[in-house]
Amino acid sequence: METVLTTHFADERYRFIDTYRGFGGYEALRKAISMPRDAIVEEVRKANLRGRGGAGFPAGVKWGFLPKDMSRPRVLVVNADEGEPGTFKDRRIMSRAPHLLVEGLAIACYALTIHKAYIYIRGEFVREAGILDEAVSEAYASGFLGKDILGSGFDLDVTVHRGAGAYICGEETSTLNSLEGKRGWPRLKPPFPATIGAFGLPTIVNNVETLSDVPWIITHGGERFAALGCEKNGGTRLVGVSGPVQRPGIYELPADVNLRHVIYDVAGGLRDGKKLKAVIPGGSSTPVLRADEIDVNFDIESMAKLGTMAGTSGVIVIPEGTCMVRALRVLMNFYAHESCGQCTPCREGTGWLRKVVGRIEAGEGRPRDIELILDLCDNMMGRTICALADAAAMPAQSFLWKFREEFDRHIRDRKCPYGNRF
Amino acid sequence: MSVAFSDAGRKEFERLLARYPEKEAVILPALHLVQKEFGYVSDEAIVYIAGLLSVAPAQIEGVATFYTMYNRKPVGKYHVQVCRNLSCSLMGAEHLIGHLSRKLGIEPGETTPDGKFTLSEVECLGSCGTAPVMQVNDEYHENLTEESIDAVLDGLP
Amino acid sequence: MPSLTIDGKAVDVPVGTTIINAAEKIGIEIPRYCYHKHLSVAGNCRMCLVEVEKFPKLQTACSTVVTDGMVVRTDTEKVRKAVTGVLEFLLINHPIDCPICDQAGECELQNYYMKFGLHKSRFALEDKVRKKKVQDIGGQIVLDAERCILCSRCVRFLEEVTGTRELQFFRRGDHSEISVFPGRPLNNNYTGNLADICPVGALTSKDFRFKCRVWFLKAFPSVCTGCARGCNVEAFFKGDILYRYKPRVNEAVNRAWMCDFGRLEYKKANNARLLVPFVREDGREKMMSWGGLLPQVAYRLKDAVEREGPDAAAVIASPQSSNEELYLVRRIASDLLGTKNLAFTSRVPGDGFSDGFLIRGDKNPNSRGAQLLRIPGGPAFDELVVKIAAGKVRALLLFGDVLGDLTQEETAGLLSMVPFVAQAGTNEGPVSAVATAVLPIASVAERGGTFTNHAGRVQRFHAGFPPRGKAKDTIGFLTSLANRLGAGWAFDGEASVFRALAATEGPFAGMSYESIGSLGQEAKG
Repeated sequence: METVLTTHFADERYRFIDTYRGFGGYEALRKAISMPRDAIVEEVRKANLRGRGGAGFPAGVKWGFLPKDMSRPRVLVVNADEGEPGTFKDRRIMSRAPHLLVEGLAIACYALTIHKAYIYIRGEFVREAGILDEAVSEAYASGFLGKDILGSGFDLDVTVHRGAGAYICGEETSTLNSLEGKRGWPRLKPPFPATIGAFGLPTIVNNVETLSDVPWIITHGGERFAALGCEKNGGTRLVGVSGPVQRPGIYELPADVNLRHVIYDVAGGLRDGKKLKAVIPGGSSTPVLRADEIDVNFDIESMAKLGTMAGTSGVIVIPEGTCMVRALRVLMNFYAHESCGQCTPCREGTGWLRKVVGRIEAGEGRPRDIELILDLCDNMMGRTICALADAAAMPAQSFLWKFREEFDRHIRDRKCPYGNRF
Repeated sequence: MSVAFSDAGRKEFERLLARYPEKEAVILPALHLVQKEFGYVSDEAIVYIAGLLSVAPAQIEGVATFYTMYNRKPVGKYHVQVCRNLSCSLMGAEHLIGHLSRKLGIEPGETTPDGKFTLSEVECLGSCGTAPVMQVNDEYHENLTEESIDAVLDGLP
Repeated sequence: MPSLTIDGKAVDVPVGTTIINAAEKIGIEIPRYCYHKHLSVAGNCRMCLVEVEKFPKLQTACSTVVTDGMVVRTDTEKVRKAVTGVLEFLLINHPIDCPICDQAGECELQNYYMKFGLHKSRFALEDKVRKKKVQDIGGQIVLDAERCILCSRCVRFLEEVTGTRELQFFRRGDHSEISVFPGRPLNNNYTGNLADICPVGALTSKDFRFKCRVWFLKAFPSVCTGCARGCNVEAFFKGDILYRYKPRVNEAVNRAWMCDFGRLEYKKANNARLLVPFVREDGREKMMSWGGLLPQVAYRLKDAVEREGPDAAAVIASPQSSNEELYLVRRIASDLLGTKNLAFTSRVPGDGFSDGFLIRGDKNPNSRGAQLLRIPGGPAFDELVVKIAAGKVRALLLFGDVLGDLTQEETAGLLSMVPFVAQAGTNEGPVSAVATAVLPIASVAERGGTFTNHAGRVQRFHAGFPPRGKAKDTIGFLTSLANRLGAGWAFDGEASVFRALAATEGPFAGMSYESIGSLGQEAKG
């Protein structure tokens, strides 16, 4: 299979500019600045590139939201705040191929006439921030960033900005607030970032993987990229597989790869002869699937039909013998910990879910707790500024719908049948 | 007690100021710098950078307490942060946290009496494919086992 | 102009109007906590969710701008469930300590709890997140973090109105709380507003705390007398005691705010009041009846004029008096006594602090009114003081409790040069300590009239209750005095005086109490 991103990941020196250029790196940028700006955007549109941050919004369409009026400078913010549990693909790109991102963002900035880009990277990724800093410096030194890039007269300044520990800062308006030095509270929309974004300026926020796809699209053309994927989602996707499988890791796969194939063939199936119990397909927020539901294409539309989402393509594999109440408790702890506290239903709802799921796991559940959880989820979903409340409620609902008997049993027997452990 | 950046810290701070269109954007990087220079973010340090940036100390406190990486209290020389999220839990994180607790003689959230180690449970560190994972200060240690944990911690000066 | 329907009722509103305000226009009150008309829109409490046709999700009425043809429903089962859900979320970590909460009776949690009939109490069973209670955070405010519903009104007020940012959100999730930074308490002159805008009992007034349950209080519209701004206030009272002022919305004057100094002005109506007429003879105070004292005052003024000419009498007017009172005072001085010795001063003891926002340097509510009514101020007052000091004034009628910015000693020294000083005042002070005759008049809460603020805006204040003790309504007292000096006045209350004043005084021409209304009207000139 043709690969877009991971072709040279095995080469330890690929993260340095000389090696990167040896493989043709920055030729896409050179090509881009010889193209009319509209033509670059058109290639990305033809590529059918959908955002890789989880929501899957078409990148070319998003770029088109910038106001036509050029009186205010525009900003690009790279969302490198990878934090969705089960997701670790952007970290891999940044550590193995930082120049793919730098070249991709430079092309995007050129196409959109943006002279200032920020890479907002989650604070814990200290090493990756260092690698990016170095890559950015190399790119400046080689004339791919800074003033008069490749003699085109185009200037671009790039700043690597570190977060400081907050999952919510991956939500794009929260990213912007955090970049501005504020608490990472999502913003009310409208106005959307394309109108009023970072520092009040029109802003495009794109995920690391999304931008890293751009050089290949420019080199090989949008149509060829589109052909690598499926009808509604062009190109390849980085799929992360975690949990007790033979070969956990990041794999570059077609957008419509079969989910069973990912788990059993690509990742080699479960370890130690374990059986599959459940799969969380696209990061912790996406509704869980039972083992008998995974013979399905892992594309956005097929997943939606199944009542779940492809999300960030972070596949969490859950083996038989796992207490699903305990697993949900872990997730509910996470969302309660990460709720920004701004909107009432999320702030109080995530905390309440944590308490109720926690007491069920502890053998102290009450007869009507399941009803309570489902009602709380109903009162949270679609009621908040951002999607974190939904992100917490969706796993809660789906765990209850699909593994209801385990919850009932905890409450009935007043103890965890798995002995309160994983 | 008053605090102030070292000369190098001051220089770094000035460099940060020049990087952003608004000085409030320097709050996060400045707090990272504070933590690097002083080990944690004290009340005095908050007042100090509030002064440098001409903002209310409460504004800095609001930011400092929103993000988990800023320690508002002193931590040990080595801050051992173990992921407790789902992928790591499926790979034995709970067991390893127990191991660390016994080894260091402290519960998560505590610091050893000699001030060498603070043990914390943290949420997803983005290392799910190499779970379980812990971060010791800035450094990731992946695919953890009891043995590899012992090797890492025993090797620290 | 977009036109839309809300719950089936049609309404036209200007472009840019949000649903919450469009609804208000047709009498539909959409529940809200974070929304406040005078602050930016935060949209975080999620109480104002409504159904909007063509939108799959409920929308926040506070932040959604109406479009032409929009169909909004606030009364559906879906909306009710959402709002009840939000209310329940707010209550899970709330201490529900209403019996000891000062906000009880004007608490929006209580109000909506009743409105939405949230009587099944599954939240009462939950372990609550504990936070700090009863924290003195400076200014006039006590903070109870457990009662806080994190609506952010206070944080926005301190960012957008005072710019001081003392209160911020700390931590996150259900451990979020608002607080001040250690050692950095509230440090602005508008802290009292925080208790007003707090929809629950999280921020309460130190001054009002535990003084009285709000349901025992009645209120009437008034105007703050603390400075020349004339902030519109609601005055709360029980019996003949004022308990508090709260700002009354007037976009042209004080929007929805008032300063901390003005907020405590109400105390003047309660404390150290002059309540009984008396004369001072040989250094001893002798209580009098009005019937006994008023003829004496009239006699001494008339006597001075008759014996030594009109300029042996003098009248010092007060910028604390209403337009109506000042008009009568001027007529007494000019028309009846015929003296040229009529003056007022805006100076008061103290520093005359001003801040470019609401607080004016002039600490009187009606200096502008005195000017417009042609009562000489400034140098005229100083000239009169010189005359008094030279012993040229034999009888003085003085309004107010202070004599300009003179100290107690200076006041005593100056007034000792006048054989007869009659004071019409409300409170004990440097003047009442030495005046020959003291005429206790009604406080601002006990009489009505108008003040003209620094910008020339004429604003009404009202009597909330009858004068305390033997204090007397000024207009009645001035009319009796004038008639004893030979006038044939038949004024009955402030309204009749204002009609006369508007008929003859240019700046007030064409004005009436009706045209002034509850929000005031600009005088001409």
